[in-house]
Amino acid sequence: MVMATTQQQPVQQIQQLQSTNPVEVYSALRTIKNAIIGSNAKKTLYYQLQIIPHVSSLLALDDTDVQIRVQATTIVSSLAHKGEDVAQQLVDGGVMEALIGQVMPGTDAALMEASERALNALLGYKATRMGAEEHTHTMVPYLLSIITEAKESPRMFEMRMHARVELAVLILEKLCVTEARQFTVANTGAMDLLAPLLQRGYPRLQVATLRAFAALSYENMEISRALATVAHDGRMFPQLVAELARHSDADVRLHACLCLANLSRMRALGDARAVLTVAVPALAKLLRGSDVPRLQVIEALGYLCHEDAEIQMAAKNAGAVSDLVAILAEIESQDGADFVDHARNVQETRAVFLALGTIVSAGEECRMRAVESHAMAHLVRALGHSDDGVKAAACLCTQYIVRSVPICRTHVPESGLLRPLLALVRSSATSVQEKATAALINLLPDFSPLRADALKEGVVDVLAQLVESEHVTIRRNALWGLRNLLVGTDDDTRRQIIEHVGIARLSTLAQTGDKAVREQAAGVLQNVTAENEVGAQAVFDALGAPQVVKLLQTLLASEDSAVTVHALYLANNIAVRERSLCELIVGDRGLLQTIVDYARSPVSEAAIGALWCINSIASHRADGDSDSSEPRFLAQLEAQNVQSVLETLLGDPGLCLGVRDRVKSCLDYFSSPAI
Amino acid sequence: MTASSAKQTISLDEWERKMRKVPIAKSDLNQLIMNYLIIEGYKDAAEKFSEESGLTSSVDLGSIEERMQIRFAVQNGDIRSAIERVNDLNPDILDTDPRLYFHLQQQQLIELIRQGKSEEALEFAQDELAPHGEEHPELLRELERTMALLAFEVTGESPLAELLDFEHRQKTANELNAALLAAHSQPREPKLPALLQLLAWTQDQLDEKVSYPRINNIVSAVLEEEGKDTSASTPRP
Repeated sequence: MVMATTQQQPVQQIQQLQSTNPVEVYSALRTIKNAIIGSNAKKTLYYQLQIIPHVSSLLALDDTDVQIRVQATTIVSSLAHKGEDVAQQLVDGGVMEALIGQVMPGTDAALMEASERALNALLGYKATRMGAEEHTHTMVPYLLSIITEAKESPRMFEMRMHARVELAVLILEKLCVTEARQFTVANTGAMDLLAPLLQRGYPRLQVATLRAFAALSYENMEISRALATVAHDGRMFPQLVAELARHSDADVRLHACLCLANLSRMRALGDARAVLTVAVPALAKLLRGSDVPRLQVIEALGYLCHEDAEIQMAAKNAGAVSDLVAILAEIESQDGADFVDHARNVQETRAVFLALGTIVSAGEECRMRAVESHAMAHLVRALGHSDDGVKAAACLCTQYIVRSVPICRTHVPESGLLRPLLALVRSSATSVQEKATAALINLLPDFSPLRADALKEGVVDVLAQLVESEHVTIRRNALWGLRNLLVGTDDDTRRQIIEHVGIARLSTLAQTGDKAVREQAAGVLQNVTAENEVGAQAVFDALGAPQVVKLLQTLLASEDSAVTVHALYLANNIAVRERSLCELIVGDRGLLQTIVDYARSPVSEAAIGALWCINSIASHRADGDSDSSEPRFLAQLEAQNVQSVLETLLGDPGLCLGVRDRVKSCLDYFSSPAI
Repeated sequence: MTASSAKQTISLDEWERKMRKVPIAKSDLNQLIMNYLIIEGYKDAAEKFSEESGLTSSVDLGSIEERMQIRFAVQNGDIRSAIERVNDLNPDILDTDPRLYFHLQQQQLIELIRQGKSEEALEFAQDELAPHGEEHPELLRELERTMALLAFEVTGESPLAELLDFEHRQKTANELNAALLAAHSQPREPKLPALLQLLAWTQDQLDEKVSYPRINNIVSAVLEEEGKDTSASTPRP
């Protein structure tokens, strides 16, 4: 039967590999090679038939015939294209050592070429690159020798020569996967050796060289800055790359932009013009084309725009925002369609939201452009996507878009954003919850029209539960959300938060554990006690006076200035209320001393917080509310030399305006005729 | 006044005078010819031309022979042989270009159908093409069309007839040839046709603005004045 024969053949071919007749072994290898090249199904079949141990052992034997080696090596190369798992198995099977042995001088040229291809394929994955540590010091000099030899050869431009150089450069690129290896390669003089290749008129070689430079400089400030000073033919590296960003070949343009993005991110470009006027428009144009994988362009754009408002604006002006939203519309129109690579669409959707989020993160104009391009509808839809990565990316994008107060007030209420977002906050994968809670934070301030709806949807209860999450980021975000809810809120909401979260719990969170959580918890305590006496009284009722004093002492002793600022305002909120509550602060000399010391803090926020507190303490009058009576707690303040401290501060010409104003206000309490 | 009567007119003499001022280096001409010969696969002609013109090619002329053998194999419908030769020449090509690999397998399927080997074709489609299509859904439409050859009798009027046409082999051969050239950093297409296309396009653009002697036959390249008897036209220099 035809079917049975078809299945038996691969098994027979594998068995034939163990033959003592080299002709049979060669024939079997060649048949297997031609079966698996291009076909993942066949690769899987032979993988399951244990092809790897067979080829590994053939390559490990010293006396294996060259022609058999070539075929076995080509099989290794092809199998490596299957995926990371197979490549790792090949590496674990010891093929790397065999391949490196096969590229040494004196080896048959065809075998050398096959081995270089195999190395390039094997190193195509993060795991195998990371695992190549022990071979790096052998491979790097060898690879550089290929480039040097080609450079010095009069036949440098020959096809086979530059194809070999291309492979060598690609392998070099793949080795630069850690900072240490980046330096290893850079310290060999590779940058000067590679620079002339940028001007060879062979796009594939130029792309390989650009990739190598991108890998060398990725997230490495020192190398990026060194690279910016590399010159060839009288032109500096950034200039060479900027020219390539205008090349007729789309692949060259893309990789040139990636190089510029790396240098820009590491602040290695003295002049940002190359990025603004060349790289950004080039990427925006590539986005509209189909000459290179769109996913790579989207990711490159997002990477370039990260944390740079000027580049983000340039991207907006180049049409990138509307183009990214158009991609979302295009992908959505393909939902459920046949003959569509839906997996790629999911990847692109994710990448679009991340890139869009980056571009709109800093600037109002960019956010408005996104909204005008109807991004909100796509965001809301994406919050209900089946893929967690898409949901998380959409939440991130939402977080940045709703930073805009006008957008929050106008476009967000009608968008239908709240319910799907709350659904993700309530119940989703951790990675999604982290981003969803971060987005929710921006919808809860007092100016947000969605706050009331969120409260009706039970957001307090949700956030109170998330305060107990085992994930730090989610705990922090939940506290931040509560903090925002407390600003300008009514007493019912205030009491609800106090009841659901608990003052004792907030006190514990503010004093122990992760720094970011402590900061937010302290902020919640500050805001709970603000605006009226409800919160302050609740704090004393829950903790008792000694614990409140201890809490303040602990928070004020924190090395984190954000925590101490919250603590100072907490103290202020307590001190400004009932005299009885103020007495508890004033009555502790150590605590009062600490507050007064903060008035002299070089951190202006802390100084202002301390001065407000002093102001609040001094505002309590000895005889009722009469303004002519002296401060009730004058003696305690005098014991801390407060007036002298204030007068010294006022005499400092370098004192910032905000602090100076507070100092003057405080001094008013000490300038009454009664003193 | 009509648009044509507003057009500037350039005489043949003036045109030729202007053309003579345009410098064309012999070396550039030789490069163009060599480029055409190499990409189109005229190995012997390329070798002879290299010898006679003194032009050194960056391409290993021996590789032209390999590429042409692959091309002929596809044109003759021997896809299996073509694939084996490609894998010997550069095994990375088919592993890194799923679309090209699919088109070669598709052509193989077409050849089996053409030979009337329906059962073998069906098995081939199931074993080779279907898994590939699963990984690359954008190729499934083409697979569906090809499989329809098995389901329907194909006549000259059928939209599927083009698949069985020998021109489809040529299309596949051209795609493979282009990939082989690109793998060695050679241009996928020769420059001469592009220059001729540019000539035709430029003349179309000029036609709207100027009356001038145009080339109406790219083979003879004779300049013909608009509306004039061309029997005494100056032959191309």
